[in-house]
Amino acid sequence: MLRFILRRLSIAIPTLLVIVTLAFTLLHATPGGPFDTAKHMPAAILKSIEAQYHLDEPLWRQYLRYLGSLLRGDLGPSFQYRNTSVNELIRVGFPVDVLVGGLALLVAMLIGGALGLTAAVRRDTGWDHVPMFFASLGVAVPVFVVAPLLILIFAVQLQWLPSGDWHWGEPRYLVLPVTALALPFIAYIARMTRGAAIEVLASPYIRTARAKGLAPTTILLRHALRPILMPLVSYLGPAFAGVLTGSIIVESVFGLPGIGRYFLVGAINRDYTLVVGITVLYGVLIIAFNLLADLCYAWLDPRVRLQA
Amino acid sequence: MRSRRRNATIAPSFWRRTHDYRVDRILSASLRVSRPFGGALLSLALLLAGCGDRSAGPRGQAPTSIKVGTAVAADQTVTRSLRDMPRTLDPSLLTDVYAQYLTDDLFEGLTTLGADGSPAPGVASSWETSEDGKHWVFHLRHEARWSNGDAVTAADFLYAWHRTLDPKTGSEYAQALAPILGAFEIATGKASQDALGVSAPDPYTIRIELVAPTPYLLALLSDSFMQPEHRATIERHGDDWTRPENIVSNGPFVLRELIIGDRITLDKNERYWDASSVHPTRVVYYPLDQVTQVSRYLAGDIQFADDFPSDQFRYLKALLGTQVQTAPLLAIDQLAFSLLQPPFAANRNLRLALSMAVDRDVLANKVRQGAEFPAYTLVPPLPGYTQALPEWASWSEERRHAEARRLYAAAGYSREHPLHVQLDYDTNESSRDLYDAMAAMWRMNLGAEIEPYNEEFRVLLQDLRLHKSLLFDEDWVGDYPDPYTFLQLYQTGFDENFSGTSDPQFDALLKAATGESDVAHRYADFTRAEARLNEDANYIPYAYRAGRHLIKPYLAGWRLNVLNRIPSRYLYVLEHEGR
Repeated sequence: MLRFILRRLSIAIPTLLVIVTLAFTLLHATPGGPFDTAKHMPAAILKSIEAQYHLDEPLWRQYLRYLGSLLRGDLGPSFQYRNTSVNELIRVGFPVDVLVGGLALLVAMLIGGALGLTAAVRRDTGWDHVPMFFASLGVAVPVFVVAPLLILIFAVQLQWLPSGDWHWGEPRYLVLPVTALALPFIAYIARMTRGAAIEVLASPYIRTARAKGLAPTTILLRHALRPILMPLVSYLGPAFAGVLTGSIIVESVFGLPGIGRYFLVGAINRDYTLVVGITVLYGVLIIAFNLLADLCYAWLDPRVRLQA
Repeated sequence: MRSRRRNATIAPSFWRRTHDYRVDRILSASLRVSRPFGGALLSLALLLAGCGDRSAGPRGQAPTSIKVGTAVAADQTVTRSLRDMPRTLDPSLLTDVYAQYLTDDLFEGLTTLGADGSPAPGVASSWETSEDGKHWVFHLRHEARWSNGDAVTAADFLYAWHRTLDPKTGSEYAQALAPILGAFEIATGKASQDALGVSAPDPYTIRIELVAPTPYLLALLSDSFMQPEHRATIERHGDDWTRPENIVSNGPFVLRELIIGDRITLDKNERYWDASSVHPTRVVYYPLDQVTQVSRYLAGDIQFADDFPSDQFRYLKALLGTQVQTAPLLAIDQLAFSLLQPPFAANRNLRLALSMAVDRDVLANKVRQGAEFPAYTLVPPLPGYTQALPEWASWSEERRHAEARRLYAAAGYSREHPLHVQLDYDTNESSRDLYDAMAAMWRMNLGAEIEPYNEEFRVLLQDLRLHKSLLFDEDWVGDYPDPYTFLQLYQTGFDENFSGTSDPQFDALLKAATGESDVAHRYADFTRAEARLNEDANYIPYAYRAGRHLIKPYLAGWRLNVLNRIPSRYLYVLEHEGR
C-alpha cells in the first residue's frame, strides 16, 4: 500500500509539471498583457513595470524563473492586485472555500445519502417519488438561479439571514452559501445512492442475508452500505477538489472572499501568476483526492488490490 | 407582453408603424440576448416581487416599508458597494475608479471634492494664480495632520508627485500630471526629477508652474495621483505600506480592514483637521457585481449601491421609486470609424449616413429604459460650455432617415448592394443590447448589414492598436471636467486616436484653445473644434452614460455629480425603522 502511494505521488510530479507548463504557455499565448490599459503608458514606465515583474525577459527564462520559485512554494506576485502575492491571496481565500465547500459536501453526503437510501428501500412510494422529483430539479436548476432565489426569500423577504458578506466564526453568514452550494450535490448524491442501492439490494448475497432472517436495518447498514458507497467515492474525489477551489457563482453572489473567482478574474486580466497558481493548487487537490478515493476504494472493497 | 400592447395601438402613418414595429423587435432582441445571469435574477425578482405585493400593498412599494425620521441616527455606520475590488490603494499606483472612491475618503489633496463634486479647499486653505494662468501658489493649512499625528507639509506633496512620476515606481497614470511643467518629460524618462515645475519655498507653500493655462487644475489636484504620501511609512514598509496595519493617511477616514473579495472598512480619522464636520464613524465598502448589489440593497445590507444592471432600471424604479437615482456622467458612448482604410476612409457620406440612421431616443429611452441620455455630439454637457450640436440633431425622424438614405445612396450603396461591416466591441461592456438595436436600425433605415462582434477587452485593444477594426466601440470616460479630455481623442498623434483622425484645422483649434487663459475663449475654441469634428462625422456619438445608484431614504447628505465620486464624509444616517 505504501508502495502504491509512493508510486502515485511520483507520477504526480510530472503531471503537475505538464499542468504548469500548459497553463503558463496558454496564458502567455493569449493576446494582450496584464498591463495593457485603455490609456497609453509612456514607454519608460511600461519598461519599468515589466522589469519589476520580469516580463521583459524571454519567455523560457520567465518559465524557469517561475518553476524555480514554485519549488520554493512561492507562487509569485499578483499582477492584478499590485503589492499582493498569489500566496497571500490563496492564504486568505482558500480557508473560506475549504469551510464553505467542506460543509456543503458534508451536508450533501448526509442528506443526499439518507434520501437516496430511503428512496431505494421504499421504492415506488411517496418516499421515492417526492425526493427524486426534487433531486431531478436540483440537478437541473443551476446555482446561479438557486443562490439569488435563496437571498430573495431568506434575506430580502423574510429577513432571517444576511444576504452575503463573511465573518469568521459567525454561522449565520454560512447558512445560505452552504445551502446554495449543497443543493445540487444533495440532488446528485441522492440519485446516485438510490441507483446504487437498488442494484445492490437486488443482488444474491442480500437475498441470502434476508433468508438468514437478518433485520432489514442490519442488512442495509452492515452488508449493503459499503458497496453502495463505491460509485459515490469515485464521484466525490474530484467533487471535493472542485468545491474546495471555490465556486465563482456562490462567491460572487454572496460576496465571499474565496479563490473561486480568481480563475475568471485572473484570466480576464491576464494575471498570469494568479491563474497558474490557482491551477497548480487545483491540480494538487485533484491528484490528492483521486489518491484518497482509490484508497477508500480498497478499504470498501476487499477485492480491490492496490497496484499501480 | 409589451409588444402585444404596442401592436394594439393604431399607428398614424406608415413610418410610425414601422417605427413601432422596429422598437418591438429591438426590445425583444435585447431581451433575448440580455446576460443570462441578470435575466434570470430579474425574472425571479419580478416573480417574488409579485408574490410579495399581495401582502405588502399596492405595486410600487418597497419590499419592506421604511419609516424615516428627521433626527440623526445614533449609529453612523455607512455601507456602500463598489463594482469591483480596487487593485491597490496606493495613490501613485492605482488605476481604477473604485480605488479613487476610496482614496477620496482616505487621503486629501491640496483641493478636495465639495459636497456637489466641485473642487473645494483641502489641505490648501487658499491659492492665487498669475495673470497668464500658468503659475499657481497654494497655501497649506497648518492644522492638517497625518493619521499618526505628523503635520502635513509641502514636502509630502512633492514626495508623492516625484514618486508618481519616477518611471521606477511604475505608475500607470503618471502622465495625468502632464499639465505640470516638466512632468511629461520626467515620466517618459527624458528629464531628471529636478525638471519638475513645482517648488516649496517653505513647508506650507507650494508653487506650481504649468505647461499651459489649465482651468481644471483645481479639479485635478483632488485626484488620487495628486494626493500627498507619508514618506517615512512608504520607506519603512515598501510595497506593504497600504496595509491596514501600516498605512498612514491624511483624509477624513483611516483604513481599518481590507479583505480582498469581501469588504473594505474605514473608520473616522479623529486627527483629520475637519473631523468635526465628518458624520460617519465607520464606512464599509463591499465590492459586488451589479446584480448582487441589487439583492444586497434590497436585503438592507447596503445603504448606497454604486450601480445596478441597466435592464432593471424600470423594474427597480417601479419597486423603489425615488430610491433609484441617476445623474449624467462625464462619459460618452460612441462608435468610431477607421479613417485609414476602406470603406470609411474618405467617405464622409457613408459615415454620416450611418450616424444619422441611429435613433438615439430609442436607444436611450426604449432600450435603456431612460437610464441614459441621447448624445449627438462628443462633449457631454459641462457648465459654461456650448456643445456643437449638428443641425440634424433637431430634425424629425422622417427627415433624418431620408437624408441618411440619400447619403447612403450617394456613397454608392443600396439595398441590393448593401454595406457589410463588423462592429467590434468589448465583452466587458454590457452594451450588446445597444449594438443589436443599432444594427437593426441600420438594416431597416438603410439596408446596411452591420454585425456586432464582441472581443475580450485586451484582444480588442490589440486590434485597435494595429488598426484592424473598421467600426468599433470607443466609449470614453473623461478624466477631468473639461472638453479637452474628450476632444484630444481625435487629435493627431494622440495615443488612443484609434480612428486615425488627422485634421490640421481641428488640431490647430485645439492648440489655440489649450493655450488660452480665458475660460470663455478657451471653450469657444473647443466648440469650434467640436463642430469641425462633427462636420467630418468620423464617429457616432449615441449616449451619455448615467451614474445609476440605489440610495436608502434614510441616507442623507449625498449629491450626485458628473465624476460619480460621492465622498463618504458628507453622508449621514437619519433615524429610521426598517431597512
